[in-house]
Amino acid sequence: MGEQEDRRTAVSEARFESLLDTAADGIIVIDDTGRMLVFNKICERLFGYTAQEAIGQNVSLIMPPEFSMSHDRFMSNYHRTGERRIIGIGREVSGMHRDGTVFPLELSVGEAKTADGRQYIGVLRDLRSRRAVEQRVSQLQAQVVHMTRLSAMDEMGAAMAHELNQPLTALLLYLQAVARQVKACHADGKPPSDKMLDVLDKSVQEAERASHIVQRMRQMVEKRDPERATVDLREVVNEALDLSEFVAQGATVTIRRVFGMTPIHVDADATQIQQIILNLLRNALEVAKESEERWVKVSIGSDDRSAFVSVTDSGPGFSEDVGKSLFRTFSTTKKSGMGLGLAISRAIAQNHGGDLMADPGGNGQGATFTLMLPMHRPDDAEDDTWG
Amino acid sequence: MYIIVEDDPSVADALESLLSGAGLPVRVFASAEELIHSAALTADDTMIVDLGLPGMSGGELVRHLEKAGANPKVIAISGKSSRTIARETEGLSDLKILRKPPSADWLEAITA
Ligand SMILES: Nc1ncnc2c1ncn2[C@@H]1O[C@H](COP(=O)(O)OP(=O)(O)OP(=O)(O)O)[C@@H](O)[C@H]1O
Ligand SMILES: [Mg+2]
Repeated sequence: MGEQEDRRTAVSEARFESLLDTAADGIIVIDDTGRMLVFNKICERLFGYTAQEAIGQNVSLIMPPEFSMSHDRFMSNYHRTGERRIIGIGREVSGMHRDGTVFPLELSVGEAKTADGRQYIGVLRDLRSRRAVEQRVSQLQAQVVHMTRLSAMDEMGAAMAHELNQPLTALLLYLQAVARQVKACHADGKPPSDKMLDVLDKSVQEAERASHIVQRMRQMVEKRDPERATVDLREVVNEALDLSEFVAQGATVTIRRVFGMTPIHVDADATQIQQIILNLLRNALEVAKESEERWVKVSIGSDDRSAFVSVTDSGPGFSEDVGKSLFRTFSTTKKSGMGLGLAISRAIAQNHGGDLMADPGGNGQGATFTLMLPMHRPDDAEDDTWG
Repeated sequence: MYIIVEDDPSVADALESLLSGAGLPVRVFASAEELIHSAALTADDTMIVDLGLPGMSGGELVRHLEKAGANPKVIAISGKSSRTIARETEGLSDLKILRKPPSADWLEAITA
């Protein structure tokens, strides 16, 4: 009987060990004094000690010194009070390799009561690779934001040249006209006529028209800190729409604004939100221009949790195929498109705790893109104490 | 007669001021369609036409007039890139192009 039991234990121990060694995570078991009882293969790789070297030593061996001191305190505190700081919770901690390298780990701890007293099982995951990936993603994202800003600025540059052309042309022609008349009057020894003053007035107006255009463009292009503030979504969107009238470039697409009367407050980086609206609008205008009815509708609404901005156009919508890769970077159906607009817009929306959704339309209906953002909540600060 | 076909009212007005200020007879139209409906041009006329008109474009208007047998002197104005201008005026003979914004005296250029 006893022999059989021993054999069974031996078998299950062997199984347990092979399980430990195939685990993708580091696994450590310690007793209630902090002594390591189990140290699996992954741990050997993570920390540079063999299991033989590690087992029997205090777990502080694999912690940076400042951490190991508080670990002892945590353990005795837990034994005294039962207050859980980590058990069943899991958190990010630092580990130390044999060579002194300190690195981030995700640690979850479970507790087991055994005949030999309390034991703790720690599951460890190396966070370095994930960190690197996260860093890379945020780098890429920053690059993409930069690129869309640049291409939007290119487009704006072209639009601005076009818009400025008209008032500048008028201005120069008025001045040419008045210069001729002044010369003629001078030659005849006559005083300047009312007509000449009238033309001068008009030329001042044209100069003002030009400078107004420059001012509005400047507001958009000037770098603002990417800081979040509580803003009225209607104002933010309005500004973007005003601006896009340049990009629309005298195209005969009507932009309908369907806004409510009450402010809709969100916590957002206004410039980035405008970036989204401009991207959506650019796409919508491009298809609306080719459509029969030639309109784009921008509506803003909210429920008690979220604010919405929807952009619908009179275009044909998009196919299921296009829908599949819509938000993927560099997926485009356009000759000159980069396929960045929607990808970056969704990234920005999600960074704000919101999202960007698409309704394909079709059958005579245009596509609808909806930006969702969480509503500003005045009592957000109090909620923070949870957790 | 000098005929201006330009949809931007300020540019049209400024051009008119320049020409009429010099004592020249001028008529202004805001679109190609408006001109076709209300005036017949002769070889004595000079038409100053914006290439980027909404509706029938400037280039189309010139082609239309050629077909209809009216052959006024044509001066095209445009704010677009030279490549776009070349594309828009392809196949049109004999027209002078002035680019916006003006870099020289347009009255001289138009009456030359
Ligand atoms: N309003 C719309 N109606 C129909 N199809 C759309 C609409 N908006 C986007 N699409 C489709 O989604 C694709 C991806 O759009 P996205 O804005 O990401 O890139 P893009 O417009 O092609 O290029 P860009 O980087 O210049 O914005 C488009 O190529 C088009 O096929
Ligand atoms: Mg786009």
